[in-house]
Amino acid sequence: MESGKANLVEKSKKSYRVKRPSQTGFSSPATHYTEPRIDLNDALINNPSSTFYVRVIDDSFSEFQILKDDVLIIDKSLTPKQNQLAVITKEGAFEITRIDKDSKEEIQLWGVITYIIKSTL
Amino acid sequence: MIALVDCNSFYASCEQVFRPDLQNKPVVVLSNNDGCVIAANKEAKALTHIPMFEPVFKIKEVLKANNVTCFSSNYTLYADMSQRVMDTLREFSPNVEEYSIDESFVDLSHYSISELDAIANEIKDRVHKNTGIPVGVGIAKTKSLSKMANKFAKKVAENNGVYVVENEEKRIAMLKYFSLKDIWGIGRQHKTRVEKTGAKSAYDFTKVPLAWVRKEMTVVGERLWRELNNFPCHEMTIKVDKKKGIGTAKSFGYKLEDYGLIEEATSYYVAEVADLLRQQNSAASYLEVFLHTNSFSNTDKQYRNKIVITLDIPTNSTIKLTQEALKGLQKIYKPGYRYKKVGVQLLGLVPDTDIQTNLFYQPKKSESSKLTTVIDELNSKFGKNCVKLATVGNREKQWALIKEHRSPRFTTQWNELLTIGKSKS
Repeated sequence: MESGKANLVEKSKKSYRVKRPSQTGFSSPATHYTEPRIDLNDALINNPSSTFYVRVIDDSFSEFQILKDDVLIIDKSLTPKQNQLAVITKEGAFEITRIDKDSKEEIQLWGVITYIIKSTL
Repeated sequence: MIALVDCNSFYASCEQVFRPDLQNKPVVVLSNNDGCVIAANKEAKALTHIPMFEPVFKIKEVLKANNVTCFSSNYTLYADMSQRVMDTLREFSPNVEEYSIDESFVDLSHYSISELDAIANEIKDRVHKNTGIPVGVGIAKTKSLSKMANKFAKKVAENNGVYVVENEEKRIAMLKYFSLKDIWGIGRQHKTRVEKTGAKSAYDFTKVPLAWVRKEMTVVGERLWRELNNFPCHEMTIKVDKKKGIGTAKSFGYKLEDYGLIEEATSYYVAEVADLLRQQNSAASYLEVFLHTNSFSNTDKQYRNKIVITLDIPTNSTIKLTQEALKGLQKIYKPGYRYKKVGVQLLGLVPDTDIQTNLFYQPKKSESSKLTTVIDELNSKFGKNCVKLATVGNREKQWALIKEHRSPRFTTQWNELLTIGKSKS
C-alpha cells in the first residue's frame, strides 16, 4: 500500500465520471449517458466487514429450500426478525433455523442469512 | 480521548469463529513451518505447562494429553479478519491508527467524556457481533494510558473488558495496580534505575521528579512520564513510514541439498520483496542473500554464509533483482550440505523517482518498468504468482513451509468456504 494512504477507507473502484469518448470517428452519442455495469455486491452486500459466505454440502436443510451446493450470504451484524433464516450454533455444530420469537428455546446466533445463491444448471 | 482496542488472543479467536466446536476449548496457533507455539487462547494459557515459543516437538505429548487443537498459522485469514475489525472501528471514528494486526488506536475526541463508557461497551459489543472477534477497550487521554487501560480492562474481571480513564480517581487506581514492569515502553535497564529511587508501582513512577527522569531516562522516558501523568506526547499517526529495508526469510519445509530448489525458493522470495518495494515506490541499492543449515541439528554439517551485492543503479525490477540474487546465491552455495533456510534482504532503499543513473549504464529492455507494471497488474487481478519468472519454477511443494494444520481461507477463496451440512465432509 502506498505510504500515507494506508488508513483511508478503501473506496469502490466504480466510477460515475463521464468517460472521454474513445471512438476514432464520430464520438459516441452515449457519451454523457454511460454508467458502471451492475455489480452484485451493491445489491447483495450491505455490510462487507460483517458478511461471510457459507457453502451447503448436503440436503439436510431442504425444509428451508436450502439444498446441496447453495451458497448462503450471511450478515453477522444483523439482529434477526421473526421468520428470518439464520445460521446458529448448537452443541458445537452449525445449524440453520427459522427465527421464532415465541419459542422458549435459547439460540446461539452466528449470523442472519440474507441471500441464498443457487445454481439452476 | 483515545481508545486502544485490542483483540483477545487474536489468531486463536479467528480460528474459533469458524469452529463452534472449539468454543471454550484450548487452541494454539503454530509459527511458520509448525515450529513453535506463537499464540494461545485463554483456555490454552491456563494449562501452565504449554510454554510459548517452545518447539512443538518438545510439547507434542502435552498438547495431545490436554486435547489442545493446533493450527498452522493462516495469515491470509488473520489479515482479512483484522481488516474487518478495523473497518468496524472506523464506524466510530474517521481517525483509526492500525498499530498492529490485532490492535488499533481510535481517536474518540468527538465524543463527550460522559458518553465514553457507553461507547466503549458499544465498540466491544459491535466488533464481537459483526466479526466474531472478542476485543478489550481501554480509553484515556494519552496513548500510554489507553494502552494501560486496555490491559487493566482485561486483567481485572470486574472491568469486563472495558476501562475508561475518565477522571483522576480512575487514573490513579489503575496506575497503582500496575508495577513498573507492566508499563508499556519501559525497558529493563530503565526499570532498574527507577527502582533505585524507591518507586514500585506505575503510580510511584509518575511521582518521580521530572528532572530526574529527563536526566536518567532521556527524552523517551520523559515522554512516557508525561503521558502517564495525562499530558499527551504521542499524536495519532496515520501516515505509514516507508520501510528502510525489506526482507524475507523462511525455513524450508524440508532440508534441501538440491541447488535448483534453493534457487527457486530464492527467486520466489525476491519476487515477494520486490513487489513490496514497488508498492512503496522505492528502489534498492543493495541486495543481501543468505543461506544456512539447521544450527539446531547435532548431526548435520554446519555452514552459513551471506553476500551483499551492490547494484549498478538502484532498482525495483524483479528481473534485475532476481538475476543479481541468483548470481550471489551461486557464490555462497556449497554442495554437500543440508540447507534449512534462505533469505533475501533489500537495503539502501531510495525513492524510485530519483534514481541516479550511472553514466555508462543503459537499462536493458527486460528491466523496463512497463513490463513489471503489466506483471504486477496481472498478478493483482488473477492471483499472486499468476505470472512469474521461470526461475521461480513450480516445485514449491518441495521447499515451501509445512502447514499441516492450516485451516481453510474461509473469507478469501471460493473453494475454501465454510461448509454446513450434517453429513461430515
